[in-house]
Amino acid sequence: MTPHQIIFFIIIPMAGGICTILAHRQRKLQRFLGIGFLLANIVTAAAGLCAVAPTGSILVSQMGNWPAPFGISLVLDTLSALMLMMSSIVCLAVFLYCVFQFDDDQQGGFFHPLFHLLILGVQWSFLTGDFFNLFVAFEIMLMASYAMFCVGTTTLQMKHAYKYVLLNLVGSILFVTCAGLLYGQLGTLNMADITRIAMSGQLPDSSVPVIAMLVLVFGGKTAIFPLWFWLPDTYHTLPGAIGGLFAGLLTKVGAYVMIRVFVMIFGSAESITSIVSPLLLGSAAVTMFLGVLGAVSMHSVRRILSIHIISQVGYMLMGIGLAIAAGIAFDSRVMAVAGAIFFIMHNMVVKCCLFLCGGLMHEHAGSDNLQAIGGLLKRAPWLAVLFMIAAMSLAGLPPLSGFFGKWVLLVAGLQSEHYVIVIIAVITSLFTLLSMLKIWSYGFWSPPQGDHVEHPTVRPRTFGGMAGITLLVVMALSMGFGAQHYYQLCETAAKSVVDPTAYVQAVLGEQHTPIKQLSLVETSLEP
Amino acid sequence: MNLLISIMVGVLFGASVFLMLGRELKGVCMGVFLLGHGANLAILGASGSPIGKLAPVLEHGVDLARYTDPLPQALILTAIVIGFAVQAFLLTLLVITWRRTQTLDLNKLALETEH
Repeated sequence: MTPHQIIFFIIIPMAGGICTILAHRQRKLQRFLGIGFLLANIVTAAAGLCAVAPTGSILVSQMGNWPAPFGISLVLDTLSALMLMMSSIVCLAVFLYCVFQFDDDQQGGFFHPLFHLLILGVQWSFLTGDFFNLFVAFEIMLMASYAMFCVGTTTLQMKHAYKYVLLNLVGSILFVTCAGLLYGQLGTLNMADITRIAMSGQLPDSSVPVIAMLVLVFGGKTAIFPLWFWLPDTYHTLPGAIGGLFAGLLTKVGAYVMIRVFVMIFGSAESITSIVSPLLLGSAAVTMFLGVLGAVSMHSVRRILSIHIISQVGYMLMGIGLAIAAGIAFDSRVMAVAGAIFFIMHNMVVKCCLFLCGGLMHEHAGSDNLQAIGGLLKRAPWLAVLFMIAAMSLAGLPPLSGFFGKWVLLVAGLQSEHYVIVIIAVITSLFTLLSMLKIWSYGFWSPPQGDHVEHPTVRPRTFGGMAGITLLVVMALSMGFGAQHYYQLCETAAKSVVDPTAYVQAVLGEQHTPIKQLSLVETSLEP
Repeated sequence: MNLLISIMVGVLFGASVFLMLGRELKGVCMGVFLLGHGANLAILGASGSPIGKLAPVLEHGVDLARYTDPLPQALILTAIVIGFAVQAFLLTLLVITWRRTQTLDLNKLALETEH
């Protein structure tokens, strides 16, 4: 892959969106196009990963060939490539589920274009090397998600959509304010350029409150304590597959951006890490523990899973917080970030998989209230097996993927002597197991109960759903049994994030002119 | 100039927070719109005072420091366009909610039965 081919990550979903808009009357064509574009997406992601991961090199494409701090840079480093790989697989699995399980009503109303545009926003946020561009990418992603929230709306879904839309809007507006203020103080919005300023210790004190406000912005999007209240109240109203897509992508984009911003860009600025790190670590502990308590107390599959997202976000935050904690050795920092990246990847796959399982449970039993369903082990044995693998993986039983993610984070925590959060993480893990066993024993194991729910007599068609779930479970298993290889990739990614010298050089080039000394002669208008 | 913009940003943010704390959905949405305008103004303020500066149309032989910075204006323009789309979406949602439930009062909406 040459640097300029990075743009394919944006062109492919954009073309997907446009083509499916044009074909919005031909349902069949839309589905074929969708699968085609998503496969192309996976191929591109694989090519990108192969190009950067083995050596940890960084591909940079300057849009319109404008030199770095002025134009928009798209940057593909190992971290972005890993995220793109995982997200494209998750998208394909969800798409398979949607195409085969949703009826025409649910797939109508421009569902397909929205799906592709959501992917566009997600991939763009993984690639961009510019703060304001990140805001634009976020907005594309969020606009698509707002509209998807209202596809086939029930009144209930709409009522809850307000919380999601308004909260995210306020977050976006704060984000754009922060971006503007940062530009006013630093004179640049290019991430590499800001990193350079932070590394050289020239960050003015006045930008500390602005960056602290960024914790609020990304924290709201990632759903950390105390900003998580919108999430458990909205995600459960969505159909299983769309819930899976949101759970697999949206909060993870927030976590990714947090790694980029707080570890890579501002990780070297003492004045910022000394404030942000305790904030994140404290929030991580409360987030993971309260989230899992909420999950244990719920009685519907989708509710358990959606409140569980929050608990898992806590682990990612723990990694980020440890990585910028004061007085921690370089190796432990790399380990903490690598753990967080591994955990994000694992969580994208597994969480989405569980949501899809929840959707199929609903199809089989006619409800997803655990007090009303049961006996699914007999009705859908394969679903039960796949659910069990995904659930145990989420709970973190060895040798499945969740175990290794948590293991690395715990070791990083012990090395840096943050014992409290390590203990909380272990306890949370036990409760996670409990909540998963709750779904298992009520939904699959126990005999059917409650006569107030009509069990469908016809066996539902579940081919597409099972295909999507199987794809994700295979991914999860490969992450568990091939954890060493995945972890090496994560370590490469983490190294370039913790020590961003290479990133800065790749984006800004060797000889970099600070903006203020630039004279008119040097900005010749012919690129 | 900067002082004036700062005060205006403060007023806009304050008013929008006040609106958003209300129990009427229309008010809440208006609050979000106002917040967007406040943010745009804040970016404009961050770009420094434009008094005594030239419009950013480059000519040879003129010191760059004499031009206003065009970038914040470009940022604001983008933010306005995005904000416009979001406002349209939010207003549509309001209309649909009204048609479905005949109320925009959050207390009454919260009582809507879950079905």
